[in-house]
Amino acid sequence: MISLQKIRRPGLLLLPALLCFGGALPILSAFADAQQLDHTHQLGMKVKCMCGGCNDSAGGCYHVGGAFSGPCDTALGMLKKIDERIAQGNSDDLVVQSFVQEYGQAVLTEPPHSGFGRVAWWIPALALIGGFALVLVVISRWRKHITPEPALAGAGSASPISRELLERARAKAARDTED
Amino acid sequence: MDVFGSFALILAFICAVYAFGGGIAAILTRHPLLVKSTRQAGIATCCLIFISTFSLEYLFFSDNFSAAYVVAHSNRALATFYKIAALWAGQEGSLLFWSFLLAIYVFSVLIAYRNKNGELMPYVGVILAGVQIFFLTLNNFVASPFKALAVPGAHGAMDLVARADGNGLTPLLQYPEMVIHPPNLYSGYTGFTIPFAFALAALLARYPGEKWIHLTRKWTMIAWGFQTAGILLGAHWAYAVLGWGGYWGWDPVENASLLPWLTGTAFLHSVMMQEKRGMMKVWNVWLVFTTFLLCITGTFLTRSGVVSSVHAFAQSSIGTWFVGFLAIIFAVCLVAYLKNRDYLKSENQLDAIVSRESSFLFNNLILLVSCIAVLSGTLFPVLSEALSGSKISVGAPFFNKVNIPIGLLLLFLTGVGPLLAWRKTSVESLKRNFAWPLMVGVVAGAIIFLLGYREVYSLICFSLCFFVTATIVMEFYRGAKVIRVRSGASYLTSAIELTMRNTRRYGGYIVHMGMVLIFIGLAGAAFNHDVQKEMQPGSSMQLGKYKLVLQSFDSKPEANYTGLRLNVEVFVNDKPLMMLYPERRIFETNGETGTMVAIYSTLREDLYVVYAGQSPDTKLPVIHAYLNPLVKWIWFGGVIVVFGTLVALLPNRRAVLVLAGAKQPAEEQLVHGMTPSVTYREGHD
Repeated sequence: MISLQKIRRPGLLLLPALLCFGGALPILSAFADAQQLDHTHQLGMKVKCMCGGCNDSAGGCYHVGGAFSGPCDTALGMLKKIDERIAQGNSDDLVVQSFVQEYGQAVLTEPPHSGFGRVAWWIPALALIGGFALVLVVISRWRKHITPEPALAGAGSASPISRELLERARAKAARDTED
Repeated sequence: MDVFGSFALILAFICAVYAFGGGIAAILTRHPLLVKSTRQAGIATCCLIFISTFSLEYLFFSDNFSAAYVVAHSNRALATFYKIAALWAGQEGSLLFWSFLLAIYVFSVLIAYRNKNGELMPYVGVILAGVQIFFLTLNNFVASPFKALAVPGAHGAMDLVARADGNGLTPLLQYPEMVIHPPNLYSGYTGFTIPFAFALAALLARYPGEKWIHLTRKWTMIAWGFQTAGILLGAHWAYAVLGWGGYWGWDPVENASLLPWLTGTAFLHSVMMQEKRGMMKVWNVWLVFTTFLLCITGTFLTRSGVVSSVHAFAQSSIGTWFVGFLAIIFAVCLVAYLKNRDYLKSENQLDAIVSRESSFLFNNLILLVSCIAVLSGTLFPVLSEALSGSKISVGAPFFNKVNIPIGLLLLFLTGVGPLLAWRKTSVESLKRNFAWPLMVGVVAGAIIFLLGYREVYSLICFSLCFFVTATIVMEFYRGAKVIRVRSGASYLTSAIELTMRNTRRYGGYIVHMGMVLIFIGLAGAAFNHDVQKEMQPGSSMQLGKYKLVLQSFDSKPEANYTGLRLNVEVFVNDKPLMMLYPERRIFETNGETGTMVAIYSTLREDLYVVYAGQSPDTKLPVIHAYLNPLVKWIWFGGVIVVFGTLVALLPNRRAVLVLAGAKQPAEEQLVHGMTPSVTYREGHD
């Protein structure tokens, strides 16, 4: 076993890790002031492009295979509407709701937190909670079934080991230390 | 050649049916000749599928435009390179390609184990033949790629015709990665058939011990490696070709490829519990079953048109066949499990909550939750429409919100797992193993925070990346130090020696390191920004530190398309850096267009320039430029993951056995328990 005290130069451990990402730190600082998407674009990401030919949001429409890669006419129209509604002083929610009224809930890029849409959010949460509970149950059941190992026959006295047992032990050790 | 290929496919189907039916008879009668003949029928099935696939490729290479599939997906001017890719460009050919890859696996298994595992192999052969029958049914009777081109003739009959040229390959597929991405991904999908066949066979045959696990571990890793490479190549293709500045859009088809990868990853971890402790047998069997079912589900989603996707094949009725196949497979698995579940009883119990075993349980839980989240999100629009009458869309924002925290939890466990010992981890061990990695993670997080970096998820992600890296470095350092002390070699040589002595374990750590790099790249996406501008020659746009000047634009006719190219000069601090040539390609045969993105990629960021098109009003070119931080780390991480997988597949140079001291313990203690002589190094194994 290697203890921490035995590592005379613990910096050796830190150094490679920092070296790995030595370049990353200055890189990261440069992005701290990265531009955010403009307001229209941000809201455009919350509604789907309703052209029927893509699965993109209005703000992120790129229309694969089209003559023009970027927002298609439908997405551009939706972005223009967002612009106008923001200029009229509408709140973000109101802008998004205006599209829901026009196209139905299918226009939203994520399920609403109301009505049947909540189910989409519940499923992962329930899976996590249920799974976590299940793991705890499994662990506790496994723990309950532990039976103390029988006292070793002749423990303390060094009994001779047969060749077969030694081979079995070697095989077991090799298997157990493989990973 | 089309008749030849078609005939070979029919023969393959007949052979597969014989391998299946004869195999069942062989299991029941245990007649050696029957066993042998069904195995040979299995091999013949594979050979006939090879012949059929090569026949279709020959039709492409010989520009045989009397075959409907060739007309639809090729043309004379298509580069030879892409005539290979044309094989899987459409529904029919890609299904044959699926059969072809499956046949490679089946052929390899039947040859490799022809004189081994006599009790198990007849079952394996039958299951593999069953899967082949399904795909050969589709190849022969539902979506044959060998249909002749026919047009309505006189008296309502169909006349066979030949066209002078074909429609050509869709431009999106005319990219080098499309020649290697689908084979990788399909190899992943099809490869999971092998562990599935062995798991089901072991259950049906009540095959003793964990031998099926040992037999299939490498096949699972191979399939997983292909799936990983396929997913990453697909992401890179989307990034370099689609021209939207991203690599993962949570499209249903992308999600379909991720689902079996998640359960496959869970299996690769939990399988160690069964190998070492004889635990989680039921879980492992169902993980393998689920992975295979998800492979078929993914194929169903891609091909049925049940969910809308830009990557999907044309809508067809083929989905019904897949639903039926899924139902049969599930029923067989369920019946086999219910009948033989007592065979899957756990051999050991959990000794302590803080242990490697627990970490694997949580690792599996997180991977499964992610899988459920992705699957439910992908199917939710269909479910909501069916159950509530109103279609509710589920797009990228939902998947990001749900999966980012799950991914971070998983990244955390990637660091924690290797530091915990099997059976039980003591408090001392926890302190010893976690002190430095935690310190590295916290210090790195603090530095990043002080640098003004505030995006919460990315901050956590970077800190965890440092933490996990520190754990991996520590593992290599500790092991290499022991070898170094004994051999006097350098740390690097010792680390290589260490890896070669236990390829699976250290290959696994290399894979983890690759995943860390991928996470770094993913975290960078929080800081993407872009600019779009209509430009005339001589005008410029600024993006971050880069100034882009449009020098000129021109068009250049090529054999298969006309390229509209922009010549963009990039300046940094008013000093010229390089020229970039974003391009739009217009394909004459079908009028479709394709994007060739120009990317200046560094470790720091990608400058990603797209010729978005021409303004409809001014006819001037429109440039869309993106600044995407750290993207290169994703591709580099992917290479490391694949490298680590390859390392893990290598045989160990020699077995690692740590027998300490000359003192011999008692026999029973030596064989059954944790003893001073067999040293389990806490946090290492």
